[in-house]
Amino acid sequence: MAVEFEVNKREVWDGNYAASQALRQADVDVVVAYPITPSTPIVENYGSYVGNGYIDGEFIMVESEHAAMSGCIGASASGGRVATATSSQGFALMVEVLYQASGMRLPIILNVVNRALAAPLNVRGDHADMYLGRDSGWIQFAAFNAQEAYDLALMAFRVAEHHDVRLPTMIHQDGFITSHTAQNVYPLSNEVAAKFVGVIDPIDDMLDFSKPVTYGAQTEEDWHFEHKAKQHKAIIDSVPVIDAIFAEFKELSGREYKRIESYDMEDADVCVIGLGTTVESARVAAKEMRAEGVKAGVVAIRCFRPFPYEELRTVLENCKSIAVTDRSSPGGAMGAFYNEVAAAMMTSQSRPLVTNYIYGLGGRDISIENLKEIFKEQQANADAGYITTDIQQFTNLRGPKLSFFKTDRS
Amino acid sequence: MTEIRWHSRAGQGAVSGAKGLGDVVATTGKEVQAFALYGSAKRGAALRAYNRISDEQIFNHAKFMNPDYVLVIDPALAFSDNIEVNEKPETKYIITTHLSKADLIAGIPALHGKEDRVYVVDCVQISLDTIKRSMPNSPMLGAFVKISGMFELDYFLENMKRVLKKFPQKIIDANMEAITRAYNEVN
Amino acid sequence: MAVEQQDLKLKANANRGLSQLEGGFDLLGWDEVTQGSVLPSFDGDASNVAFQKAEERSYSGYNSYTATVASWRVLKPVFNIDVCIDCQNCWVWCPDSSILSRDKQMLGIDYDHCKGCEICVEVCPTNPKSLLMFSEYADVGEALASWPEKKKKEKK
Repeated sequence: MAVEFEVNKREVWDGNYAASQALRQADVDVVVAYPITPSTPIVENYGSYVGNGYIDGEFIMVESEHAAMSGCIGASASGGRVATATSSQGFALMVEVLYQASGMRLPIILNVVNRALAAPLNVRGDHADMYLGRDSGWIQFAAFNAQEAYDLALMAFRVAEHHDVRLPTMIHQDGFITSHTAQNVYPLSNEVAAKFVGVIDPIDDMLDFSKPVTYGAQTEEDWHFEHKAKQHKAIIDSVPVIDAIFAEFKELSGREYKRIESYDMEDADVCVIGLGTTVESARVAAKEMRAEGVKAGVVAIRCFRPFPYEELRTVLENCKSIAVTDRSSPGGAMGAFYNEVAAAMMTSQSRPLVTNYIYGLGGRDISIENLKEIFKEQQANADAGYITTDIQQFTNLRGPKLSFFKTDRS
Repeated sequence: MTEIRWHSRAGQGAVSGAKGLGDVVATTGKEVQAFALYGSAKRGAALRAYNRISDEQIFNHAKFMNPDYVLVIDPALAFSDNIEVNEKPETKYIITTHLSKADLIAGIPALHGKEDRVYVVDCVQISLDTIKRSMPNSPMLGAFVKISGMFELDYFLENMKRVLKKFPQKIIDANMEAITRAYNEVN
Repeated sequence: MAVEQQDLKLKANANRGLSQLEGGFDLLGWDEVTQGSVLPSFDGDASNVAFQKAEERSYSGYNSYTATVASWRVLKPVFNIDVCIDCQNCWVWCPDSSILSRDKQMLGIDYDHCKGCEICVEVCPTNPKSLLMFSEYADVGEALASWPEKKKKEKK
């Protein structure tokens, strides 16, 4: 029988520790891992919880992230509750297998501590790895601080394992800025957390000898499309389940989560829309802009997949100029996040001005002042009625101003 | 909002110091943030750690700050790092050194004219005497408690015992002594 | 005896080889395919399946047991029980589990799943061979009647 791990009502935890505590409280059966900075402590801590008897589980070290996710697939297909963590290059090596997990509808939980992709080699945070997973068929939640990394990790099990969903789910947190930043975290008691997460009720598990099944069937053009379509619909259809579990968690903890979060948007003329810790910094900047007379707001995507197109249109309905912030090198195009926001707003009645800011690559700091500059440019756009800058700009970059793509107003 | 920036070398315990401070501050009902940016840094490389303390939830995740306190736990960094960067007129400096305050300030042009907000304490020597190795983070916490007036010394010591509970009693006692000595010696 | 043992439905379950592999399936819509392309092998409770012979099992429509590849064959193996020594070599080597054997006694061919690859003939050690390839349309009785004689060892 497992030893009780003592948890206080108020802890000072960093994002990694918070996520690992969620794995412990969720009584995860199997973690298969190949640790990588900055996500290492998540799986390392799980291993120590197993080793010290706090949890009755299996910690399996393998030879690569490709093998780690493969092992997770085996354990999950066998009916276990399964989780792991990775970052950056490790995530990249895992990508092939991510598609296998989602295609087989296995409810694996992956804690992704976002980190830049080399070259040049870098251990700090940006969203290059997160974007790499965006078409992989996983549900993707974004945490903006350690508390949320903990809360979302608990909720992710409920969402992923729900019989109407059955999709693997990632929880993203910013490398170092969340993962290595200790903040006040108010965890659930072990008992309450365990009751909330519950016990996995497996489907099509390979250890059910009364119903042998084949995993990994081959399909060619006569079947593949139908399977992928069904999978896509499952992601879209996970929305009501996610909303219900967010609501249930609010009842339990008092902490409210929405697939799209908005702050000071009721009367906002201009806004910054983002992912990760920058959302919280932008809230500080927006408050300061309001003190300076600019009706500034912030919109954040909590649920990157399924992407909340309709909710986004609603929340941005009356906004005049929108700055979409992408923390990933766009590689010869607009930022991926910009494209999604622009797609949503292109099909809106209001058709606001939408600009793109590339920022924070490789963990480059983004200060309140940087964010206030972005708000000021949005206000200038709103006043002019057109985009006064190039559409895509690089923020807080050394060297001459770098920007691309112009609006045609002729 | 109180903001603190630590100047340290990897291995001197600035990260643990910042987290330990955050842990104790949180017990008073405040919201805290403790972070450092490192990763591939080798032992001995200069690094900075940060604390934010507020009555309300802390949303600012930027590394950038105008610190209220600058804590320097490596004697050489006081000279070689830009410890005064982004300072405010009221920023207080607590610097570990074997020098007198006058001699230290004389050697660091950036601190000229700031005599009333520069404090010195020999965290390295205190830790060598008590913990028996150079671990200047604990003494710096004692000095900070004194200069900031944020806690009563006894309250801080009691809570640090809880933070350090995974260590053997001998080490906990040595740390308590180090904190107390620095509290009394900082000037 | 000879003709009977070449029964096309030898030891067959009711749904063995019922559907054609090509074009024989109902091409289901996206709303009808299985979740995660996971395919159950049996209908109903299969807890006891390890103790059942193929003809006793309730294979599901997703199991290849219920599909036939007989049309892939140009030549078919014919089995001659009079020569066979029940060594089970063909059973081991057949890539499509099409050698029907019970209690280590060779019974014949599953003609729904045999593709006519000739491996069974290749590995048969008897003299003459107990399995030989004939035209798919050859009469089994005539085939058996034309079975070759034992070859004499060539003198060195």
